Amino acid sequence: MLSRIRANIPDKSAEPALPAEPELKAYEVFIQLKRSEPHVHAGSLDAPDDEVALEFAREHYARDQQCVHIWVVPRAAIVATDYDKDLVWRNTDQSYRLARGYQDVRKKWEKFRKKKDVDEYQKLDLKEGF
Amino acid sequence: MDPSLREPLRELLLSVADDKFLLGHRNADWTGLGPILEEDIAFSSIAQDEIGHAEALYQLIHAELGGATANELAYARAPAEYRCAALIEQPDEFDWARAIVRQFFCDHFDVLRLQRLAMSNWKPLAALASRMLAEERVHVQHADTWIQRLGRGTSDSHQRMQNGINLLWKAVAALFEHTGGKDALERAGLYPPLQRPTAALWHEAVRQQAAAGGLAIPAAIPDLESPDGRHGVHTPDFAELLAELTEVYRVEPGAAW
Repeated sequence: MLSRIRANIPDKSAEPALPAEPELKAYEVFIQLKRSEPHVHAGSLDAPDDEVALEFAREHYARDQQCVHIWVVPRAAIVATDYDKDLVWRNTDQSYRLARGYQDVRKKWEKFRKKKDVDEYQKLDLKEGF
Repeated sequence: MDPSLREPLRELLLSVADDKFLLGHRNADWTGLGPILEEDIAFSSIAQDEIGHAEALYQLIHAELGGATANELAYARAPAEYRCAALIEQPDEFDWARAIVRQFFCDHFDVLRLQRLAMSNWKPLAALASRMLAEERVHVQHADTWIQRLGRGTSDSHQRMQNGINLLWKAVAALFEHTGGKDALERAGLYPPLQRPTAALWHEAVRQQAAAGGLAIPAAIPDLESPDGRHGVHTPDFAELLAELTEVYRVEPGAAW
């Protein structure tokens, strides 16, 4: 149900049209959830200047989760690659760089430690050590 | 605590909570109608803060001074039992300048009032007030930002802001009216005074901020013309505001949500 007060919104159609917000700049917002943790990209916003951008960021991106720090960066200040022109990921087979093999190491290690042989081996190892 | 101070304390805390509750409600009317999307969200978020502060105060009153629950305090009192100031009761008629000036006047006042409450020798209140004070300073910063940017914006924005100030100035005295038993609370250290009168400190702060935006603040605070909300006398606008605010609650009082 809409507020009755909202039935009284004045008709401003007779007023001169507002200029199309040419002074707003785009900012990217980064938030930090805990000290010493990385700032992560939270989203973007438009603001007339840096100070207001920080205020908007606090109200937009730092209210629905606990944050300790905010960065706002004018989007124009970000240097970026071009999707079409710049090669970011190599074209040739790069699977050897993905280090997928390590994902299984932990499982293998846990399986190995569960074996009784390990305990026996360690006992022996200690005896011989002394 | 001296039992005779409980009623004055309740009155004082209701005035703080009611100001915030009604201001939050007034500002929430702007949700979806803010001048730009970002400010729409920011202003709504701050409105939520105000209502959150009011809730915390209503809960404190109920927990420490007994009587009605927070919900009942918020929604089930008769108009004459509310202690909010006339400045907050006035509709802004969706004039952004008026909404911002109202917020500016109220936030600067609230910071001073919370400073006093944060110095209270009643620990539960001092602890809550100092947490709210830090948030209130964020609100002040937001209001100051708009005062300065619109004051220094175009001749149109400047004129609208000055008109807003001139219009609301007539009602600012309502903020500084006291609820009953204020002197006893001050003497008992429950509501310690600041080094200078709150109204003088407030006048100086809003003058300074407005001047930074090229806006003029009158040299004196006029005598109270509007009804004294601190004693339950309200403007005709208040009845309408309260009726709307409590409409859902009154459908089934005490319903669990």
